[in-house]
Amino acid sequence: MAARIPAEERLTNLVVALMATEIGLTKQQILDNVSGYRQRADAGTRTDALEKMFERDKDELRSLGVPIETIGDAADPNDLREARYRIPQAEYDLPSDIDFTPAELAVLQLAGSVWSAESVSGDAQSGVRKIRALGIDGDEPIIGFAPRITARDAAFSPLQEAIEKSRVVVFEYLKPGEDAPRRRRVRPLALVDYEARWHVFGIDVDVEEDRMFLLSRIVGDVRMTASTFDAAMREGAGERALAGLEEVAAANSALLEITPGTEAALRLGRRATPAVQGIRVPFVDLHILADELASYGPEVRVVEPAPLREAVIARLQAVVVTHADRGELR
Amino acid sequence: MSAKARPLLAGDRVRLYLTLVPYLLEHGQVSLAEAAEEFGVTTREMRGMVEKLTVIGLPGESGFWQQPQEMFDINWDLLDQEDVIEITNDVALRRVPRFTAREAAALLAGLQMVAAVPAVSDSGLVAGLISKLSRGAADAPADVVVAPTAIDAVREVVARGVNEGRAISFTYQAPDTAPTTRTVDPMQILITNAQWYLQGWCHLRQAMRTFHLDRVSDPQITDIPITHGGEHVPEAFAEVDDDREVAVRMPERLAPLLGGLLSAEHVETQSEVVTARLHLADPRGIKRIAARFGGAFEVLEPGVARTATREWAAAGLALYHHPSEEDAG
Repeated sequence: MAARIPAEERLTNLVVALMATEIGLTKQQILDNVSGYRQRADAGTRTDALEKMFERDKDELRSLGVPIETIGDAADPNDLREARYRIPQAEYDLPSDIDFTPAELAVLQLAGSVWSAESVSGDAQSGVRKIRALGIDGDEPIIGFAPRITARDAAFSPLQEAIEKSRVVVFEYLKPGEDAPRRRRVRPLALVDYEARWHVFGIDVDVEEDRMFLLSRIVGDVRMTASTFDAAMREGAGERALAGLEEVAAANSALLEITPGTEAALRLGRRATPAVQGIRVPFVDLHILADELASYGPEVRVVEPAPLREAVIARLQAVVVTHADRGELR
Repeated sequence: MSAKARPLLAGDRVRLYLTLVPYLLEHGQVSLAEAAEEFGVTTREMRGMVEKLTVIGLPGESGFWQQPQEMFDINWDLLDQEDVIEITNDVALRRVPRFTAREAAALLAGLQMVAAVPAVSDSGLVAGLISKLSRGAADAPADVVVAPTAIDAVREVVARGVNEGRAISFTYQAPDTAPTTRTVDPMQILITNAQWYLQGWCHLRQAMRTFHLDRVSDPQITDIPITHGGEHVPEAFAEVDDDREVAVRMPERLAPLLGGLLSAEHVETQSEVVTARLHLADPRGIKRIAARFGGAFEVLEPGVARTATREWAAAGLALYHHPSEEDAG
């Protein structure tokens, strides 16, 4: 039975042990004494296997936000044989000057409820729980509003992890109109939900320029490389990304003629400015606007730009071809 | 925070312990049911976790077991007889841990999303919360940004109706129909995919309805107190009794984009091609959805829906066949 101590028990014991020590524990002390390792060592598990387990456990705890400090040999910081490990209380605890009012908790509870993706929603709930564990009860829940964010793109979570770790990613990206996807190497800096689509903002390593990629156009897996970048690059990235998108929208607009009183008039009218001949609608992505315009059929006609007009025509032609009369009803 | 039956991984359990211990210490005695609800696990799971807490403690010295005061302990009688949890000895984990980068990022993005909700924007709390969450995070969260939505007069009036619990009347222009005047007991504003919808009891239809706010004009708050409210708000795009079925075919990658229109029991997938039956009040309405996806989305049945789709696209194309267009070319 010695080896049957479950991982959560070993990990939690490790947290308790590392929090209780001021000067830190050496790896050997941990393997000999902390419940979960100790029994395995007694049962004859080899030291190198136990050491590997300890390394994995440290990574796991760090991913849970537990700060594990390594105190190395001052003379030779790379020599970790005699290193000591501890959890500094001041870095572990939620700072005591951070307090939440019941009204703030009610807002956070609504904020935590918006995610429909299970994993992100779990993170949000877990954050709210920490505040409630402080003994704070929220005001009456804010009702009558159900904001929802979806993050169904498979690329979302690997990209978020790469941003957290400041690691370069590689993925295949398929631009509309191109035949094959092209490999991109990117320093990811921020994820941006713009017009209900997720984008990753980052620096394309091959051209050393800021770029925005739509997650829905990433083909296959996002691979995190071993190459890292300076985390300082991430500062203010979200705002820069948003400003960039707004700049693109301000610089690109479509001149459209719409039939009054139709769905197209209602939906496009909200974001349009009147023009001499029709309305002007700003856009950031020609193909996404073309999809929408095609859905309005004869309710809208693109005057310019020409590439948008051609994209809409191509879509409508394809719809006609796909739905050609099959003849059997004639 | 409903108790779901998803199995917990070791990491989930550790994370749970780190918050459970300070929560229990803060609250003293807590019923098993309440703690399970709070942490989104079953009462069985919660009981198991609390029992397991008693094998957590400070490390022993080689060859010796730990002393009782070096271990967590609970009031066993209280747990066994009354299903109530109480920690009687604690050895660490007394303080609430910082937010993980993920937790902070999820809440920060959620805050940007709810900032558009009038009850939240009026409170003026968002900026302070953003700073507290950022400061309380263990590691710098990844920037997850949600672009703000513009709040126009329609959204403002409808939101006020929801807050004040008064019926709203407005002109509603559904696609391909004549405009109607509606009076609605507002129950909820749903914001999804950057679109705003009002869900409520429609006096005209005598039923729950979902209204796209882009199609709403001239909203007025009436003096009519609402008679329907506080009841269960159904799924936004739930099927209505008199719906008709439309059979469609599309590549698997497009299926998620249909969101609420697809329901699992009506979907078949074979070699990356999805065949589905959708429910629409008017089968011809499918033309707008089909045209959005170019030729990749095919309407199969009924014939009138397929024809309507083809004619819809052909009519759109005809706009570009004007003779003057060729001259200008």
